[in-house]
Amino acid sequence: MRRREFLIGAAALGAAGSTLTSGVAAQESAARARIVIAGAGAAGLALASRLRRQMPNATITLIDAKKEHHFQPGLTLVAAGLWQPADVTERNADYVPRGVEWIEQAVTEFDPEAKIVVTDKGQRISYDFLFVATGLMLDYKAIAGMDVSLIGRNGIASIYAGPAQAAASAAAIDHFIQAGGVGLFGRPAGEMKCAGAPLKITFVTDDKARRANRRGAVKLIYNAHAPALFAVPPVNEKVKKLFSEREIAANYNHVLKAIDPGAKRATYTTPSGDVTLDYDFIHVVPPMRAPDAVRNSPLPWKSGALAADGWIEADKATLRHPRYPNVFAVGDIAGVPRGKTAASVKWQVPVVVDNLVAETAGSTPRKTYNGYTSCPMVTAIGKAMLIEFDYDGKLTPSFPFISPLEELWVSWLIEEKGLKGAYRAMLRGQA
Amino acid sequence: MSDFNPVSLFYILYESFGVWLWILLTLAVLLLAGVFASARKRLRVGGSLKRPFIAAFVVCGVVAALMTFVVPYWTLASPSALSAGIDYLFAFLAALIPGAIAGGITFMFVSRMCPPCRTSTS
Repeated sequence: MRRREFLIGAAALGAAGSTLTSGVAAQESAARARIVIAGAGAAGLALASRLRRQMPNATITLIDAKKEHHFQPGLTLVAAGLWQPADVTERNADYVPRGVEWIEQAVTEFDPEAKIVVTDKGQRISYDFLFVATGLMLDYKAIAGMDVSLIGRNGIASIYAGPAQAAASAAAIDHFIQAGGVGLFGRPAGEMKCAGAPLKITFVTDDKARRANRRGAVKLIYNAHAPALFAVPPVNEKVKKLFSEREIAANYNHVLKAIDPGAKRATYTTPSGDVTLDYDFIHVVPPMRAPDAVRNSPLPWKSGALAADGWIEADKATLRHPRYPNVFAVGDIAGVPRGKTAASVKWQVPVVVDNLVAETAGSTPRKTYNGYTSCPMVTAIGKAMLIEFDYDGKLTPSFPFISPLEELWVSWLIEEKGLKGAYRAMLRGQA
Repeated sequence: MSDFNPVSLFYILYESFGVWLWILLTLAVLLLAGVFASARKRLRVGGSLKRPFIAAFVVCGVVAALMTFVVPYWTLASPSALSAGIDYLFAFLAALIPGAIAGGITFMFVSRMCPPCRTSTS
């Protein structure tokens, strides 16, 4: 009998006993499974918290060398000059639940055939179930001439690289507004986390320029990677309308290929060939890919749109790997359409945990993830649109009294005051 | 909204406010205790609660109405950010917190004010 089947059988007996004594349908599993979580970001920590609570007998190992934890949804507010880097910087140690072993090393190799992960210090860790939650890699070097160290210099901003870079971006935006000139914005062509953020920072720059009575001195151009500004049609129409009202120009099918920081020139790939634009300020959003450890493993998609960047093959409803059924991909690394936001993680984690609990307790996993993601699209300081949608691009508002396509202060209230608490509660498995 | 329940909402509030949540809850309990004590004392001396209640209600309403336009600053925005009815509603609901504090203090103060005291002691 294979170990996994044995575990399931043993756990089913345990769960049955538990149900008889408690009289309540089991939401826990007594399985003594060895569970490895690769990555201690939003998904990894939320998984660890829920698994610890719902699988009390399991051995849970969290692997990540990173000690700092960044509340990434807050990076836009840091770049807006409203929050400080300290407001989005915490310690992973504060969120690792008791009873979870945290190995402070990086995973460098996944061997799903042998059910082993290998760390950068050569430690080999076996598992019965693996949750891959490594997050993604920001590939700044894929843009010729670009480097993280340039952020904050020569009119270059980028809010994705981290809190310090977001703060440097805030200073770059302020300097640009005072100096005037042309500001370029845009996003990469592939899958990316928080696809609304490039639009948010465009709106924030516009708003800050207006507040400083400098809007006439700056020309803002958004270079969309596709024929639309946003993938969800009603949101795209709304953003187009706002851009038009605010005199933000848009180019379509422009993908940033190279920058010349000295000459302040950016080159874009377009269907009609390369186009070079002069700038005084540019917000660079790097291409995003799977980390090397994942890309070099058997886990990514072998073909299709998600294969090139190494996203992990996963059933989009269950996030389970079709070729390795004891492997799940959660968060940014999951090779599913959309779903690279903290809001997605909030909905993904209960699905995979409840399904594993059900499976190891001997019942049928039934939970599914519908692709829910959310983007509180900041359109000015004090205003946002609370946009939520699913795999089909269908708007799925959580609050019936909040119109998703209306610029509202109450949506800003959720962004500025509500999200961080909800995020922390999610990390602790309580929301 | 199916995933919002009192437990998760409590955790979200706790994670948002940290130790301030307990301080605020303690102050709220103390204020409530003060209001009840004042009300009981006034009833014991034969006074009516109508006047302190009306005074508290008016003060609460006025303070909340004024604070509605201050609440956006708490979110690093300005009052001009309020535009739709739902914005004003939520700002007013948030402003009810200082409004309730002012109303509670007013209730205690008016409860102890002289007219019923004079009536009861004369």
